[in-house]
Amino acid sequence: MAEHHGSVSDSKHKASAANVGASFSGNGRTSPVANVSSGAERALSTGLAQPAGWQSLLSFTILFLAWLAGFSARLFAVIRFESIIHEFDPWFNYRSTHHLTINGFYEFLNWFDDRAWYPLGRIVGGTVYPGLMVTAGLIHYVLNLLHVTVHIRDVCVFLAPVFSGLTSISTFLLTRELWNQGAGLLAACFIAIVPGYISRSVAGSFDNEGIAIFALQFTYYLWVKSVKTGSVFWAIGCCLSYFYMVSAWGGYVFIINLIPLHVFVLLLMQRYSRRVYIAYSTFYIVGLVLSMQIPFVGFQPIRTSEHMAAAGVFALLQAYAFLQYLKDRLTKQEFQTLFFLGVSLAAGAVFLTVIYLTYTGDIFRLLYTCYIPIHIPIIASVSEHQPTTWVSFFFDLHILVCTFPAGLWFCIKNINDERVFVALYAISAVYFAGVMVRLMLTLTPVVCMLSAVAFSSVFQHYLGDDMKREIPAVEDNSDDDDKRNSGNLYDKAGKVRKHVSEQDKAEEGLGPNIKSIVTMLMLMLLMMFAVHCTWVTSNAYSSPSVVLASYNNDGSRNILDDFREAYYWLRQNTDEHARVMSWWDYGYQIAGMANRTTLVDNNTWNNSHIALVGKAMSSNESAAYEIMRSLDVDYVLIIFGGVIGYSGDDINKFLWMVRIAEGEHPKDIRESDYFTPQGEFRVDKAGSPILLNCLMYKMSYYRFGEMQLDFRTPPGFDRTRNAEIGNKDIKLKHLEEAFTSEHWLVRIYKVKKEENRAPLDHSPRSTITNKQKYTSKKVWFALRCDHPLWVV
Amino acid sequence: MASVSSGFPFNLPIASLLVILLICLHSGGGQKKKENMLAEKVEQMMEWSSRRSVIRMNGDKFRRFVKAPPRNYSVMVMFTALQPQRQCSVCRQANEEYQVLANSWRYSSAFSNKLFFTVVDYDEGADVFQQLNMNSAPTFMHFPAKGKPKRADTFDLQRIGFASEQLAKWIADRTDVQIRVFRPPNYSGTIALALLVSLVGGLLYLRRNNLEFIYNKTGWAMAALCVVFAMTSGQMWNHIRGPPYAHKNPQNGQVSYIHGSSQAQFVAESHIILLLNAAITMGMVLLNEAATSKGDVGKRRIICLVGLGLVVFFFSFLLSIFRSKYHGYPYRTESG
Repeated sequence: MAEHHGSVSDSKHKASAANVGASFSGNGRTSPVANVSSGAERALSTGLAQPAGWQSLLSFTILFLAWLAGFSARLFAVIRFESIIHEFDPWFNYRSTHHLTINGFYEFLNWFDDRAWYPLGRIVGGTVYPGLMVTAGLIHYVLNLLHVTVHIRDVCVFLAPVFSGLTSISTFLLTRELWNQGAGLLAACFIAIVPGYISRSVAGSFDNEGIAIFALQFTYYLWVKSVKTGSVFWAIGCCLSYFYMVSAWGGYVFIINLIPLHVFVLLLMQRYSRRVYIAYSTFYIVGLVLSMQIPFVGFQPIRTSEHMAAAGVFALLQAYAFLQYLKDRLTKQEFQTLFFLGVSLAAGAVFLTVIYLTYTGDIFRLLYTCYIPIHIPIIASVSEHQPTTWVSFFFDLHILVCTFPAGLWFCIKNINDERVFVALYAISAVYFAGVMVRLMLTLTPVVCMLSAVAFSSVFQHYLGDDMKREIPAVEDNSDDDDKRNSGNLYDKAGKVRKHVSEQDKAEEGLGPNIKSIVTMLMLMLLMMFAVHCTWVTSNAYSSPSVVLASYNNDGSRNILDDFREAYYWLRQNTDEHARVMSWWDYGYQIAGMANRTTLVDNNTWNNSHIALVGKAMSSNESAAYEIMRSLDVDYVLIIFGGVIGYSGDDINKFLWMVRIAEGEHPKDIRESDYFTPQGEFRVDKAGSPILLNCLMYKMSYYRFGEMQLDFRTPPGFDRTRNAEIGNKDIKLKHLEEAFTSEHWLVRIYKVKKEENRAPLDHSPRSTITNKQKYTSKKVWFALRCDHPLWVV
Repeated sequence: MASVSSGFPFNLPIASLLVILLICLHSGGGQKKKENMLAEKVEQMMEWSSRRSVIRMNGDKFRRFVKAPPRNYSVMVMFTALQPQRQCSVCRQANEEYQVLANSWRYSSAFSNKLFFTVVDYDEGADVFQQLNMNSAPTFMHFPAKGKPKRADTFDLQRIGFASEQLAKWIADRTDVQIRVFRPPNYSGTIALALLVSLVGGLLYLRRNNLEFIYNKTGWAMAALCVVFAMTSGQMWNHIRGPPYAHKNPQNGQVSYIHGSSQAQFVAESHIILLLNAAITMGMVLLNEAATSKGDVGKRRIICLVGLGLVVFFFSFLLSIFRSKYHGYPYRTESG
């Protein structure tokens, strides 16, 4: 790590171009610093009143370098391991993209996947956001058309890093509209390397969010542009971008609520103008029609409560515009009576709706949408759905989280139409990020933009004092820009800027010393930010989790490839239609890598099916066998980390299985049975006997009691839970061990077929009595089990 | 399974029947008395519970109606200490949940004389606590209609908590009585909101001649920053998880304000972070102010240095807190 520091501080002194060259071939750590400082250099050189050509060349270079830096910072996983799809959900996306490229678009839309959720199956075409797959498939198609033959896997792996470059460009455009070009370039550099966004877009994480953030930022840019210009052209562009966003990610709901909120607040602030009217009316109508073209979304935009705000604001805007029109035509007296009549009618209508909603209890659902999921075990079990501590904020945003309020402050102090938008964006996004960790992703872009505003306004004032006189030129330049785009309606911001520049002229002193100290310290902060970003990316967000790595004391690396070993075994050694039961986390991976039928997977749409699997895992062997027979299970796959100390294994997840099973089958499974009388969850001798004899325990520790890992510990010592297991003599009756991977990480068991019946010692005549016995047994079985699936 | 009767001798059931009859005849008088007593008890309990959904018990009542054998009803007992001088805040919360549950049962359509909710306060029935060897409150116990309470008849408060839904589930488990918990809707939030709205409205109305302050950007900016600071310092996490304010080490009495793990935080800690974030933001604003404001150069220099100091000092402080929570930062951890 010392070396790490060295390389970064070196980079500060070197020229940026050379550095980025190095980073591209190497590890990508150094380039972000170079970019940030070159963003600062830009302000310096524009200060020199170069012709506009220089400015655009520099902007272009910086954006290109930001793209490069962002791209290379995301390659840790590819360099350390290989070009491989990560984690869980990306495997499904990869599998469906693969299906798309092989069978074509229409086949993909109609795809019924009979290999998932056995025996129910899943309609894939109608239950996914197809944007990601279509994007990757299209790129693959174009490349192959140009005879650049790449495998679809490589397209999928590198899609998110490439799109991160597009994200930084659209962030640049948006920030330029909101503040000025310098802030835009800083924002582009920030978002290229900020961990909050890298977490979802490293190479190999082929997930919706990777392209959705680009679509989000670009939609916002086009929206701001259309509000500024009031032209239908930009509004239609905004709709198309919105359409892409809807096709890519469920987070489009954020857009369809934020834009109406913006319009509403503009109305409240009496900033209504014809531009807003044109922009929003076009956006709402065209956007609505386009969004309904996605099969998964369908009629939701006119049915569900999340979309009602947009419709309400649309109606309000029309009413407001109508009133404005009347105001021109009528006398003041007439207008006032009409106005009061209209307002009281509207108030009455709103009041009645609220009463109705309260009566039906819907309003609480509306207000507390964020709270509801917490009480459902299957949602609570996913760690992404937890509220956010300050540490996560700092971890993902570092210096930006402390400075972006300053940017927000500047924006509100110098308010205009589009800055209203960014303020609303910041406040709503920060609220959602506080409620749920995964929504940090929507907060990250706005934090980058506002921090860039804060930093750029500091740099503008403190970077070199010989440029003092030239600052007004720059300001005028951007003012011209504003005017060209938006007419003369931005008087407020313009005035403030002039104010600032006048004072700049009046400014004598502060001294070059103070100025350079401030600049140096700010650059230091940004450098620390870059170091932090690379550290976080390298250590926290670049693990594929399909391949694990461990480090020896001398720093050398061991690759644990147990997952792929086991999945490949399944692929090669089992029947093509074999059904594999596992906990839902591994469903997508089994389908993607082993190409076998699964019972449940990460698309957790059917809770009772998952509960059934949970019940099988937490019952004793014979009860589990009955469930498994009824579900036609051929193999059971579990993850066991006791040998190498891997903490994300099935025993550690086991309580969630019990909880989810208890939710559906409270008579058979009770969570309290799995604890010791003291309320502890233990796997050693003191553990509860029901736990020590349940299927999951038996499968995890089968033959583990014979194994002595090292001389200091007794045989059967579990390294993950630091305990000697309590049940060492495990016999399996209905299952047999089929495969255990090298480090015992994955264990696969084969479910035995039912045994042959005992040979008949009666004469064939007595078959009738035998049959009767058999039926009576079956009826007894059906009566005892309350689940309809069990009645064979 | 199918063939029960074929092999059995006939005389055994008849003999046992005779024995039972004999016993019945022998104790016939006692049986009648018991039945009377039982009916009386049930009637008494019903009367009480029609008056209040949770029956308060003292030592004598407890022994007579809960412990004494002739019973055909289950009794839920909450052992608690509600007197203010006991300072048991958990008891009060648990009591509220228990009341909600008892009311749900009392006013449900399935209400019957099979289940009663009672409470024993320590200050009214200390002897009961001694008798049952109980030394912590609150405790929920179930006394089944037949037999003695088993281990599972004591509610596991530590692990499950005392939400009335959980209690209802446990009761359903022990007695087969399903109670659907109905919480009276909480109007306090709505009323507070209405009050606030009317207050603001009234204020606006009173100052209708001078509405300039609505256009005061500083006020709005302050409000926006408050929201941002509250969220980035994890107040929402506090709101949902309800952590303690700070942790006091019972051994040496040291108070720690910072939680040791990066997965959790204390309320005090989040307040500290809030202040740090605000200080850094203020530093940035001051830096900008120093460069743009008119006035004396010396004063502006001081503002500038103060701003810079705020940013650098408090950011270092924040970083060191983060480092203390995030072990191994910024060094590579062994597991990678």
